[in-house]
Amino acid sequence: MPIEVNNLSYSYKKGTPFEKQVLSNINLKINDGEFVGIIGPTQAGKTTLAQHFNALLVPDQGRVIVNGVDLAEKKADLVKLRHNVGYVFQNPDYQLFEPTVGEDIAFGPRNQNLPPKEIENRVLEAMAQVGLDYDTFNKRDIFALSGGQKRRAAIAGVLACKPQIMILDDVTAGLDPGGRKEIINVIKKLHHEQEITTIYISNSMDEIAALAERIIVLNQGQVLFDDQTGEVFLHARKLIDIGLELPEVMNITTRLIEAGFNLPGAILSIDQAVHAIAASLQKGQVDA
Amino acid sequence: MELTKNITLGVYLPGNTLIHTLDPRTKIVATALLITLLLFIKSYLAYVLFLILIIAILIIATIPPGYAFCGLKPMLPILLLMWIFQLFLYSTPGATVIFSWWIFSATDAGLHMGNLISMRVLFLFTVTTILTLTTSIVSLTDGLESLLNPLKKIGLPTQELVMTMIIALRFVLILAEELDKIIKAQMARGVAFDRGNFIQKTRNLFPVFLPLFINAFKRAEELIVAMEARSYSGGKGRTKMKTLHMGRLDLLAGLFMLLFSVLVVYLILTIPPAI
Amino acid sequence: MNPLIEVANLSYSYRAGSGNEVAALKDITMKVFEGELLAITGRNGSGKSTLARHFNCLLTPVSGSVEVDGLSVSDKCNVASIRRQVGMVFQNPDNQLVSSIVEEDIAFGPENLGLPAEEIRRRVDWALKTLNLKNLQYESLNQLSEGQKQLVAIAGVLAMKPRCIVLDEPTAHLDPRSRREVIKNALRLNREEGITIVLLTHFMEEVTHCDRMIVMDMGEIKMEGSPREVFDSEEKIINLGLDFPVSAKLAEGLRKQGIRIPRKTINAEELIKSLCQLK
Ligand SMILES: Nc1ncnc2c1ncn2[C@@H]1O[C@H](COP(=O)(O)OP(=O)(O)OP(=O)(O)O)[C@@H](O)[C@H]1O
Ligand SMILES: Nc1ncnc2c1ncn2[C@@H]1O[C@H](COP(=O)(O)OP(=O)(O)OP(=O)(O)O)[C@@H](O)[C@H]1O
Ligand SMILES: [Mg+2]
Ligand SMILES: [Mg+2]
Repeated sequence: MPIEVNNLSYSYKKGTPFEKQVLSNINLKINDGEFVGIIGPTQAGKTTLAQHFNALLVPDQGRVIVNGVDLAEKKADLVKLRHNVGYVFQNPDYQLFEPTVGEDIAFGPRNQNLPPKEIENRVLEAMAQVGLDYDTFNKRDIFALSGGQKRRAAIAGVLACKPQIMILDDVTAGLDPGGRKEIINVIKKLHHEQEITTIYISNSMDEIAALAERIIVLNQGQVLFDDQTGEVFLHARKLIDIGLELPEVMNITTRLIEAGFNLPGAILSIDQAVHAIAASLQKGQVDA
Repeated sequence: MELTKNITLGVYLPGNTLIHTLDPRTKIVATALLITLLLFIKSYLAYVLFLILIIAILIIATIPPGYAFCGLKPMLPILLLMWIFQLFLYSTPGATVIFSWWIFSATDAGLHMGNLISMRVLFLFTVTTILTLTTSIVSLTDGLESLLNPLKKIGLPTQELVMTMIIALRFVLILAEELDKIIKAQMARGVAFDRGNFIQKTRNLFPVFLPLFINAFKRAEELIVAMEARSYSGGKGRTKMKTLHMGRLDLLAGLFMLLFSVLVVYLILTIPPAI
Repeated sequence: MNPLIEVANLSYSYRAGSGNEVAALKDITMKVFEGELLAITGRNGSGKSTLARHFNCLLTPVSGSVEVDGLSVSDKCNVASIRRQVGMVFQNPDNQLVSSIVEEDIAFGPENLGLPAEEIRRRVDWALKTLNLKNLQYESLNQLSEGQKQLVAIAGVLAMKPRCIVLDEPTAHLDPRSRREVIKNALRLNREEGITIVLLTHFMEEVTHCDRMIVMDMGEIKMEGSPREVFDSEEKIINLGLDFPVSAKLAEGLRKQGIRIPRKTINAEELIKSLCQLK
């Protein structure tokens, strides 16, 4: 199910004094099985863009075409589309609406008219994936959760739908580091084993660097860069200018390069950094 | 899907116009006056006067009229229903029948009653909307409190009263926002709000209401907790950064409102009511 | 240093007495010292927010005691004066902004304290200046970015001139620049204005800026000390659901390659300095 966006523009509150153009003339294509990161400063329009991918928002101008179907067309089957395109909202409070955790997770599968046994299994599996203990949390009121527990419940609700495309909007915000790692592993595994197309919006450059194969950088409603991960982070100046930063490892290696170390420009993981620094030090010793 | 777009009641549209800078008390009293007049008028001419006044205010306050009236959109179905009820059920002795169908018959009196009541609701709503569009929440609170001050002497908890009113006003907006969110959340997981016929769409709305109210109350509660964390305790011992101040403009506005009211009262007394 | 907040044997359960009681805090004893920058971290659901909400009377102990400057939070008479001393900033700025205009919102707290108009004005101006928000003074709140809203929320608390500000995950939803901005300002308020700061966070990089840290798990305090000491106990950190700052991980990787980086390296500056000496 490839996603194609042509000349997309969007304004909120169109026709009122509060009208605000948020996206202007966006063009991009996301292929099956890709892992795409979307980054950009706050208010850049990341969430707004992503909500067009499952027709939660409808373009003012331009087209969004998923699996060959223009989503603005009357005959587009949006219900089926949304079964296939899972969307985890940026704020878990926006997503949870059933009274208890278990019911909320079951909501999606129930809408797919699955048999009760299957729904039950999906809930069990999803809760295990996000690290919520079934006995403790199945019957728990959604308001009786800590910030991070709400987040986990929200992710589980979408995992239980087993979509082909997953849109994750800043989903690790508020998770503890251990939880972050677990959730990221689940996402990675789904991407690798089931070739789920993954669209990962994040404010954490470290995560994006570790996960995404390709990055789309949005700024003020426009696509600034759309390139391989390593390439995008070579534009350090520009990224910092618009309010982003480099991944923490690259922050360190960049400063080492300034201090005279001989390292490659784009270093995306700690392992890579360790080997490059070790190599640079050895070579230095040989030179000396 | 954007439901909040059509909500204007309780929204503040920042600006620097004559209307915005008037003392909130002037605006509140004027609004109260207009509301009272609206409850009494029964002639089309008076409504025309009102319409002219409202459009003039909108122009001075630089509020696009289209925007001020779009808040009425969600109310139209209810108004239509009301109008139909009046048309067929209201009648006076000696009224002429316009047309009849089966056991129902519509009289001219019913028609006028329907018209007048619908217009009354529309105007009441618009007048209140203009107040909130041009007055920020804080000045609204300050103004109301100061106006109700005399009642405090007889032991009424005016500050609590005002705060409750303000939260109620904000609640309209919170409800709309929550409705937006829940509909989006349910659509994202496979409920079709944007497809299907009227009946299907309406049926889909039912599972929205319970979480809607729970969430909206939760939001209001969080707001109150945040206020308490900032030492708010029902307004006891509260002081103000900006003291209210009536100026010459307020005097002028007051005089103008007085003239307008006299005119309307004159119309009420002299022109025979439409029904 | 003298303690500003003293917690002794505090236990708290949500829905105490009902069938589905949740024990959120179990026998916590800790102190917050005057003028320190304290980080509290730990797994989701470990009880951080619940603990912090006791510091300004949003919750009261089921058993044990919490005292702020010698005043018990369980006593209703103390609520006003405790809230005057301990301000709280929540994670979601939308739920804590009361007004529609920046300066009006900042004035809300001081107005509740019943100060004279000129004093409120002075404090609002001071808070605006301290957090560099002067240019947003008359902005409408819904025009601001999340980061700016969070700074306004902090300004609103600051204008009450509290002795202590509790920040509950203030940066979780922010972009990198806003995050840096919020933390930088928290540090500055601590260093320059001498305000005690309690920072609840999941970001290990933020923790390394603090004087002292507390790690919670299952409603108990599991570790306590300077970040350098705490990050030195490797297995414990992982078992408690935490992680190491990137610099510490990099330093560890380099040590394994036989490069001599001192243990207890936890921030970028130290790491770069050690590496430059080896060159
Ligand atoms: N429902 C809405 N009504 C009006 N304006 C909105 C609405 N949602 C978002 N906006 C505005 O649209 C702009 C883009 O918002 P969006 O949420 O898409 O940004 P983002 O890149 O996701 O930012 P963040 O990193 O803060 O999540 C912002 O200026 C925001 O104020
Ligand atoms: N209103 C509530 N009713 C019942 N239980 C609650 C309520 N709020 C929190 N809890 C439970 O209390 C425990 C502690 O929650 P708390 O919010 O203090 O955690 P936290 O450390 O702040 O977590 P996080 O990092 O996710 O914000 C959790 O197990 C949570 O499920
Ligand atoms: Mg967003
Ligand atoms: Mg918390």
